Amino acid sequence: MSVTDGDAAAAGARADGPEDEAVVTVADVHKEYDLGGTVTALDGVSLALAEGSYTAVMGPSGSGKSTLLNLIGALDTPTAGEVIVDGENVADLPERERARLRGTEIGFVFQTFNLMPRLAAVENVALPLVFAEWSRRERRERAETLLSEVGLGDRLDHLPRELSGGQRQRVAIARALAADPEIILADEPTGNVDTDTGAEIMDLLAAARDRGNTILLVTHERRIADHADRIVHVTDGAIEEIEPVEAGE
Amino acid sequence: MKLRDSLRLAGRSLAGHRLRSALTVVGIVIGISTVVIFASFGTSVQTDVVGEFEDTAASEIIVTSGDVGFGDSSGGPPIPTDLLDGIPAVTDYDVEQLGGIDGVEAVIPSGPIDADAVTVGEETLARGVQVTAIPPAGFAEGDIITGEPFESGARGEIVLTETAVERFEANVTVGDTVTVDYADASPEEFTVVGVTGSVRGGFSSAFSPIFYVPIEPYYAEHGSTAPSASQGVDQRAFPQVTLVAPPDRVTDVQADVERYMTEDSDAIRVENVNDVTVQSTADIVDGIESVLADVIRLVSGIGLLALLVGAFGIANIMLVSVTERTKEIGIMKATGARNREVMGLFLGEAVLLGLAGAVVGIPLGLAVGYGAAVYAEVGFTVPIIWLVVAAGMGIATGVVAGLYPAWRAARVDPIDALRYE
Ligand SMILES: Nc1ncnc2c1ncn2[C@@H]1O[C@H](COP(=O)(O)OP(=O)(O)OP(=O)(O)O)[C@@H](O)[C@H]1O
Ligand SMILES: [Mg+2]
Repeated sequence: MSVTDGDAAAAGARADGPEDEAVVTVADVHKEYDLGGTVTALDGVSLALAEGSYTAVMGPSGSGKSTLLNLIGALDTPTAGEVIVDGENVADLPERERARLRGTEIGFVFQTFNLMPRLAAVENVALPLVFAEWSRRERRERAETLLSEVGLGDRLDHLPRELSGGQRQRVAIARALAADPEIILADEPTGNVDTDTGAEIMDLLAAARDRGNTILLVTHERRIADHADRIVHVTDGAIEEIEPVEAGE
Repeated sequence: MKLRDSLRLAGRSLAGHRLRSALTVVGIVIGISTVVIFASFGTSVQTDVVGEFEDTAASEIIVTSGDVGFGDSSGGPPIPTDLLDGIPAVTDYDVEQLGGIDGVEAVIPSGPIDADAVTVGEETLARGVQVTAIPPAGFAEGDIITGEPFESGARGEIVLTETAVERFEANVTVGDTVTVDYADASPEEFTVVGVTGSVRGGFSSAFSPIFYVPIEPYYAEHGSTAPSASQGVDQRAFPQVTLVAPPDRVTDVQADVERYMTEDSDAIRVENVNDVTVQSTADIVDGIESVLADVIRLVSGIGLLALLVGAFGIANIMLVSVTERTKEIGIMKATGARNREVMGLFLGEAVLLGLAGAVVGIPLGLAVGYGAAVYAEVGFTVPIIWLVVAAGMGIATGVVAGLYPAWRAARVDPIDALRYE
């Protein structure tokens, strides 16, 4: 599959086989930032994420990777084009529904962990469940289970600053999984940890994928990107190539 | 997001900045405690003084010759008459006529005796001594604390107020001898027959050192006279006459008394008497209450000003907090927080600060108010309404001060927030 830009690409994104079960469809998306002059972050991107797929996005700094991820994550809306998540055009959703989407359908993992500094590990993991109005007990149970699964069963009540970078990122992954979302969006999750810890984190993402999650991963490192089924190469806000990864690496 | 969870999260944020939160609350504490101090002290004075007055004098009408109110007798708050001197102008004839008015149960003329000094044993009181002549009916049920009132015409018998007793080193009591030096320099010895807490129509008698002697025979000998226009002769004349009427008829009787005094009385025709003042107990109570209410309002206004300053403190610190926690706001939005939930969190923090101000300020204000009441020797009354008002003000301050910062927080763009270092 190769993708150029423009309407043809958008049509292609819809027409291809796996798109029938696409969880996310990005159709000819443009994103511009207006800071005096206009900065074009995305310039006609079309992409579909099939249910249960594992996609890596690579590209030089400033090429628009994070922007793409944020649009799919309903943190922002495109200047033009459509981002369809779970059958709904994100731009058309009321603020309330967009928040719900972020809370329960999508799990974010960031390069800088982004944990709440004054909340303990278990409370950070439970945060999406607070907004989803789970009861306190159910939240705690779910968060403890997830932290045990990522190997932090003995760090439940530690504050983020009392944890190592790798441990923090594992807390963040547990948090991303807390509300049992369909989609995991990870923006350079291994960017701030050493190689061994990075491998552990990739194992956790692989495990999530094995449980049926759809994963979109942004990374600089080829070695990390190779964990995915395919690698989307982005340059200057446009997709240059979509490269399948050979099974078995 | 459940309310309990937002309050818990808000509380956690405040606890994370203990000192800063405490300092922010100080302004609110000052405002609320000021309001509570003066509300509680004012209410106590009001209850104590007015209560005492109402108990003993629910149905009295006080006639004073001369204009003793502020402005004319109908306008301005009436003030207790015996704090100001009337002109001795209400004649015996007037007293008789007043006694004949329908509904009047008792007529109690009273007036000062021309005395220079009072001596008990070795001690002489000269300055501020007041010897007043009243009839025995001037002592109402329960006024006399020890001993008994004198009888009409009882020569050599004297009753003094508790405050007068306190003026002497010696413990003056029933049976002791008191010497009164008249202005014409002749002394006369009296025997104390009673100590009184108050008298009819004598609002401040409870607080002044006053010696009471029987109006018969002393007022004729050492009191004042005035020309009676109706009788064509000089008669005994009193600056003040207190009338007792049934509580349900006071208003009617007061109107009749006022008509007589302003139209037909001898008093109004006496030189220099431009007016007469007729006040019922209710008028005086109203007057005191309105003066006290003004004071409470004024000082509460100062408290409100302090609250306003406190509100700016909260608003300021909340704005700082929104900026500092931009990243946290981004995280919350990324994990499913709606804008109004973010707003609720920050508003919740501001309200908790205001509430904390009330929780600390109210007991503090009550404690100081209680101290002031003890110091002023009035019974302490807790102003329940004001406590509710104070708590409400604390919360309202939080809401008002938190609204703008919370709105700013809700509008934070999650993407910018997550990039924020
Ligand atoms: N909030 C914003 N306001 C203005 N410009 C922005 C904003 N976000 C991104 N941009 C611009 O959009 C372009 C793409 O940014 P983006 O963060 O998506 O890049 P990236 O591929 O994730 O880069 P990196 O690998 O460095 O993270 C950049 O030129 C950036 O300056
Ligand atoms: Mg990026």
